[in-house]
Amino acid sequence: MRSLSDAKSESDLNSVKGIFFGKKGTLSEIMKGLSGLPIEERKQVGAAANAARQTLEAAFDARLAEFRERERKTRDAAGLIDVTLPGRLPAAGHRHPISRTMADIVSIFNRLGFSTRLGPEIEKDYYNFEALNFPADHPAREMQDTFFMDGPSSDLLLRTHTSPIQIRTMESSRPPVRVVAPGAVYRCDSDITHSPMFHQVEGFAVDQNVTFSDVKGLLTEFCSMMFGERKPLRFRPSFFPFTEPSAEVDIECVICGGKGCRVCKGSGWLEILGCGMIDPAVFGFVDYDPDLYTGFAFGMGVERIAMLRHGIGDIRLFFENDLRFLSRF
Amino acid sequence: MKILYSWLREFIDTRLSPSQLQEALTMAGIEVSACRFLGDGLDLVVVAKILEKKQHPNADKLSLCRVTDGEREYGIVCGAKNMSEGDHVALSKIGAKLPNGLEIKKAKIRGEASEGMLCSETELRLAEESAGIMILPPDSIPGTPLAVALGLSDHLLEIEITPNRGDCLSVLGVAREVAAITGEKVVLPGTDFPESGEPIGSFASVTVSDADHCPRYSARVVSDLLIAPSPAWMQRRLSLCGIRPINNVVDITNYLLLEVGQPMHAFDLDRLTASGIDVRRSGIEREFITLDGIRRKVLPEMLLIWNGDRPVAVAGVMGGENTEVLPSTSRVLFESAHFAPSAVRFAARRLGISSESSYRFERGVDPAGTVYALQRAISLLSRHTPLVAAPGTIDLGGDRTFGRSVSFRPSQADRIIGRAYGEDGCRAIFDRMAFPIAISGPGAWQVRVAPHRFDIEREIDLVEEVARLTGYDSIPTTYPESAAPEFSADDRLTATVERASEYLRTQGFSQVLNYSFVSEKELTRHANLLGYDPSDAMRLANPLSDDMTVMRPDLLMGLLRNVSSNVRRFVDEVRLFENGKAFGKSLANSLFEEQRLAFALYGHRLPGAWSGAHEWVDFFDVKGITETVLNVLGAGAVHFVPTRSRSFFVEGQAAEIIMAGETVGWMGVINHELLSAFDIERPVCYAELRIPIALSNVERPAIHREIPKFPPVFRDYACIVPSVAAVGDILAMVRELTPEIASAAVFDVFTGEKIGEGKKSIAFRIKLQPSDRTLTESEVNSIHTKVLNLLDNRFGGKIRTS
Repeated sequence: MRSLSDAKSESDLNSVKGIFFGKKGTLSEIMKGLSGLPIEERKQVGAAANAARQTLEAAFDARLAEFRERERKTRDAAGLIDVTLPGRLPAAGHRHPISRTMADIVSIFNRLGFSTRLGPEIEKDYYNFEALNFPADHPAREMQDTFFMDGPSSDLLLRTHTSPIQIRTMESSRPPVRVVAPGAVYRCDSDITHSPMFHQVEGFAVDQNVTFSDVKGLLTEFCSMMFGERKPLRFRPSFFPFTEPSAEVDIECVICGGKGCRVCKGSGWLEILGCGMIDPAVFGFVDYDPDLYTGFAFGMGVERIAMLRHGIGDIRLFFENDLRFLSRF
Repeated sequence: MKILYSWLREFIDTRLSPSQLQEALTMAGIEVSACRFLGDGLDLVVVAKILEKKQHPNADKLSLCRVTDGEREYGIVCGAKNMSEGDHVALSKIGAKLPNGLEIKKAKIRGEASEGMLCSETELRLAEESAGIMILPPDSIPGTPLAVALGLSDHLLEIEITPNRGDCLSVLGVAREVAAITGEKVVLPGTDFPESGEPIGSFASVTVSDADHCPRYSARVVSDLLIAPSPAWMQRRLSLCGIRPINNVVDITNYLLLEVGQPMHAFDLDRLTASGIDVRRSGIEREFITLDGIRRKVLPEMLLIWNGDRPVAVAGVMGGENTEVLPSTSRVLFESAHFAPSAVRFAARRLGISSESSYRFERGVDPAGTVYALQRAISLLSRHTPLVAAPGTIDLGGDRTFGRSVSFRPSQADRIIGRAYGEDGCRAIFDRMAFPIAISGPGAWQVRVAPHRFDIEREIDLVEEVARLTGYDSIPTTYPESAAPEFSADDRLTATVERASEYLRTQGFSQVLNYSFVSEKELTRHANLLGYDPSDAMRLANPLSDDMTVMRPDLLMGLLRNVSSNVRRFVDEVRLFENGKAFGKSLANSLFEEQRLAFALYGHRLPGAWSGAHEWVDFFDVKGITETVLNVLGAGAVHFVPTRSRSFFVEGQAAEIIMAGETVGWMGVINHELLSAFDIERPVCYAELRIPIALSNVERPAIHREIPKFPPVFRDYACIVPSVAAVGDILAMVRELTPEIASAAVFDVFTGEKIGEGKKSIAFRIKLQPSDRTLTESEVNSIHTKVLNLLDNRFGGKIRTS
C-alpha cells in the first residue's frame, strides 16, 4: 500500500498495479498456488485473496480518479481565458434616435388600436392642402413654408405634414377608421430648432359619436405612456385648417418640472402636440356625412419629442450622422 | 403683435392683472408668449442733464460728458453724437442691469473713467431701433427715476395670433376677446372734434368701380395743419409696438392701425387733382412707384386707388410716392376702407410686400369699423395738432349690412365636444360675445355674428366658440370606443422593415438619416460614376440652398458621404444603414418615390476582432448580410446576377439581385474612383434593396415534411473548372440532377499555379437522402456518375486526383 501512495502519476500507478495484478504479480501467484493447497485451506486462502483483490482494486481506482481529476485541472488552468476580451461577433450598432422615437410613438398607438398607414412624400397640392381645407391663397398656407417640385405642373410639392394620409385613407375606406401615420415631412426652414426635413406622427379616428373629450382622453393616455409618470397636460385652443375646434397640447416641462426654465421659456409648459376635431369641410372632400360621423386628429413632431427625451439642443445633429452622436443611443 | 396693458384698459376696464390676462388669453387660444414689465431693469436708470460735452482726448468717435442727476456729477464716456449740452438724457448708474441684459460697470475707456452709461431706446427696450441715445423732454427733472419720468409702470404683452383671428390684431380686437372671456364690457373711447369750413364734398369725391373688392370706402378731409412730430406718449406707444414714429399725420394712421386694426392711408390732398378718387383694377401691366421709392411692376388684376387716370396707391398694400404726405403738406385726405382679403393678398404676394396694412387686410378687417377709425383719428390728431376738419364723411358702401347669421343647433356642441353645455351654456357664451340669438325652430338658432369675426361662418365655428370660451379644462377625458382596426399592408411594411433594421443593428450597423434632397451639382460632378440620370431627376422649384436641389435618386451618395465624414472623424469601423425613399420620375406609378433599405460596410470583416480576421470587408461580407436581410424581409428566392450596369461598383464585383424576374436590389464593392472622390481609402461594400419589391413576395406558411428516418450519404468532389464557371450555377444544376440529392454546398474554392491559368479548383459536398429508404451501393454509384458527367459535359470540370 505504501507504493500505492508513493505513485506520482498514472504510469507509476500502472507499474504498482503490475506488482499485484500482473501475470507474475503477487495476487496471480497466490491464485496459481491455490490448486496445490488442501481443500479447506484453499477455501480460506481463496477468500482472503479475493478480499485483498477487491480492496486493492478499489484503492487503485480511487487513486486513478485522483490522478485524472488533477490532470483535468492542470489542463483547464492552462486554457484559462480572459473573459474581458471582446466577443467575436461585431458589437451591435445603434438605431437612429428619430427612428426609435417614431417607432415608440407608433407602437403606443398601435397598442391603442390604431393601424399604421404611410403615404407619399412627393404629394399633390390637393392632398396636402386643398382637401385639408387650406383654400388656395389663404394665410394658413403661410404657416407651412412649402417646397414645390419643379416641372410643368406646380401641383406637386413635398408634403408639409403627414395629414394628407387622412385624406388618402378616408378616400379608400369608410368609417370606422383609426389610423396612425408616421413619416418624413418638409418645410423651407432651417435653424437650430427647424430642419428642412423632419418627421411627424399623425393620427386620426372617425366613427359615430367620436368626441373632443375622446381625443383628450386618448392623448392623456399616450402622454403617460410616452413620458412615463402622469405629467400634467393642458389643452389650449388653437387653429389648424383641417380641425375645428383645435387645440395645442402642452405637457409640464420635463426639464424644470413646471417651475420655468430656458427650454420652456419660463412658462413651465412644453408644446408637444396639436389636435382637434376633423373639420366638416374635410369630410366634404371625402364624402363622409358630418351629421353621421365625427372624428378627431392629432399630430406631433418626432424631432421635438426626441430632443426633449434625450436633452438635445440642436436639431441639426440628427442629420449629421456622426457616429460619435449616434452611438449614444 | 405687441399690446400695452394701459392701452388695452382704455377699451376695457378689466379686473385681470397683466399676468392673469396672459393666462386667460392663452387658455382661450390667443397665445400670449411674453408679458414684460417695462420698468424691469430700470432700477438704476435716472434722468440726467448734460452739463458739458467735449471730445474724448484719445478717441475721435467718443465724447466726454459731464452730467448731473441733481445731487452729484458723473463723468461719462459716450459713443453717440446726437446729444448737446443742456439735453436731458437717461443715465444708467454703475450696477444697473439693463432690460437688454447689459450690466453697467465702472470702466476706463481709452484712459478716461466712465461712471455709467447714457442709454438709447433700444438698450432700454423701449423701441426696436434707435438712432442714438435717448433725448428726454426739456421739462424732465434730473434725478427722477426714468420709469417714473416715462410712465413705464406698464406691461407689454406679446401675442401670437393664429391666421384665422385677424380680428385680434389690434387693441380693440384683444379687448373684445377679453370681454368674451370675462363678460366685462368694451367701451369705445369718444371721437369728438369740431368741424368747420367747406363740407368735404367741395374738396374730394370718391367712386368705387370695383365694389366687389372694395365693399366700403370711407374718407375725411382735414386742412390747415402743420406737419410736426407726434407727442412723446404717442411716439413711445408706437415704438414699443414696433412702429417707427414719422410725423403726426403718418403716426395717427399707424396709431389707429394698432388701436382698432383699421389700416388707413393719408393722401396729400394738394397732390391729388380735382378728378377724384376711384377704386378699380389696374387693367394693364404698368409701373408704379410706391412711397418707399421702389418702382414696382403692377399686374392687370391688382386693385388700385386712382386719381383720375393715374394710380395713387395699391389698395390695402402701400400708397404711392406721387401723393404721399410731405413735411410741407397742409391738407390731407384720410382713407379708411375695406378691401377684400383676396385682392390685397394677391397684390401683396405678387409685389413681394408685406405691410402692416396688407397683413391685416389679408386676414380680414372689420368692414363696420371704417368710420369710427376716421373719427377717432381726427379726434386724437386734433388734440395735439391744430387743424380744420371739413364737415362730413364720404362713406361709400356704409349703408350695407355687414356680419351674417349662422344656423346653430345647441345639441351639436354636446355631440361634438362630449360635454353637456346645454342651451344655457351656449347662450351664455354668445351673450358675452354680443352675438344676438334668434330662435328659428325647436333646438335651432340663428346666431347673428359680429362683422369683425370673419372666421365664423358655419355651425362648427360657433361650436368652437362655445368650447373655447367655456374652457377646454372643463371638457372631460373619455376614451374612444371603436371596433378593432384593420391590419394594413403598411403595418406589415413597417413591422418588416423594423425587423430588418434590428437585424442590421445586431450586425453592428448604425442607422443614419440623410436629407431626401441632395446637391445636383455634386451628383452631376460624379454623374458617370454614380450612374446619375438627370432626365429622371425630381427637382425642387424653390430649394433652400445649393446643397439641396434635387431629390436623391438613390441612397448611395448620402451613405458614402456618411462613411467618409465618419472616417475623417477617426472612426475606423463604419457600418451604416438607412431606411428612406429614393425619388425619380420613373419610380412607382407616378408617386415618383420608392422605399429603400441600403447599407454600407467599411473597415474590418470582424470589427474589433483581436483574434485573426484582420481582412478588410469584401463582396462576400455584404452578400451574406444581404441574403439574411432579404430573408428577414420575407423575399422569395433570389439570384445574384453579375452586372456591369451599375457604374458605381468595381467591375466584376457587383451583382444585380433578381427576385421573380424583377430587380429587388443591387450590391457590390464600390468603385475606387468613386471612393477617392469621397476621400475614402479602404474598400466600401454596399447594397441597396427595393422594399416594395422584396415585400411583393407572398410568404406562404412553411409546409411540414417528414423528418428523414434513414441516415444520409455524403459524397465530396474536388474538381477543376474554368475560372469563368459560376459555382452557383454548378451547384444549382447538381441539385437539379435527381431528387435524391438533398443539398449541395461548396466548401472550398482556390486558384494557383498548381491549378493552372484560367482555372479554379472547387470542392463541394452533396448529401443524398431519399425520405423513404436507404440508398443501395449501386444507386449511390449511379448518382455519382451523373454528377461526374454533368461536371465534365457542362462545365469541362475534371475531378482532381491528387
